[in-house]
Amino acid sequence: MDPAARTCRRRPFNIQLPIVDTIAVTLKKGFLNGLSITVEMVKVIVPFYLVVELIRYMGLIKLIGGVFGPFMGLFGLPGESALVLIAGYTTNLYAAIAVLSPLHFSPRNVTTIALMLGLAHSLTVETPITKKTGVGALSLLLVRIALSLLVGMALNLLWKLF
Amino acid sequence: MEAVLTPLFGALRLCAQLFLIIVPLTMFYEFVKSRQSSLAGRSRAFLGISGRGLIPLFTGIIIGLTYGAGVIIHSIRSTDIGKGEAFLILLYLSVCHAIIEDTLIFVVLGANGLILVGARFFLATLLTYAVYRARLIRGR
Repeated sequence: MDPAARTCRRRPFNIQLPIVDTIAVTLKKGFLNGLSITVEMVKVIVPFYLVVELIRYMGLIKLIGGVFGPFMGLFGLPGESALVLIAGYTTNLYAAIAVLSPLHFSPRNVTTIALMLGLAHSLTVETPITKKTGVGALSLLLVRIALSLLVGMALNLLWKLF
Repeated sequence: MEAVLTPLFGALRLCAQLFLIIVPLTMFYEFVKSRQSSLAGRSRAFLGISGRGLIPLFTGIIIGLTYGAGVIIHSIRSTDIGKGEAFLILLYLSVCHAIIEDTLIFVVLGANGLILVGARFFLATLLTYAVYRARLIRGR
């Protein structure tokens, strides 16, 4: 860039006028995006939340907890949390949160689940996106799932140390 | 009746909490999107990712893969970023993306945000660096 243009950009008068206009438009766009995301989120959260409450109400949650208990024990998590992980891996984080919220886990367990899901989530949506950029999506998918499980076990060991 | 209303109320309260997190964030995201071209001037490489690669990288870390997909796909395809570099970018992003939103929505339920952010940045950097180094060694 030539030096004249650069000094020009540093001057407040030249920057501020166009930006004030853009900020209002930008923020409005952001707000509308937020609204549409919230609508999508409500559509996911309400059914997942109600189904989990229903399962809990019918006493099925203990059964599910018993089935997945030994496997989830690797991560120091109660068996019911398998439902949270499945919802997060296949659907998205909002679904995972809708399942997690009525189960009332301890902060440590929530942190473990959040980290595991942070590393791998919405795999059905995000894998096609990585594919579109033209890189090997399958290897990334495997890395994410393996990392998620490994980190869950590692965090469990760390919690035991402290 | 109460058995239906109480969970419904709980679900809606959760939605309201998430709404309060998401709307400020999407407004912030739009702001970042409108500004991100200023990153293009930077040329210092980072973990084998060049200056051009920093645009999709930062977009992904802050905004996320789903919401930032347009920018990420476009900026990788429209510049001459090679396949190897694109893989490094997406490897980093696979582990570490939408860092603000993903963390905050779990903090609402009691998670430790510092651990979440720290671990994801650490793992993503470690993994990307390992693949980058491994390639350098193989390339020789």
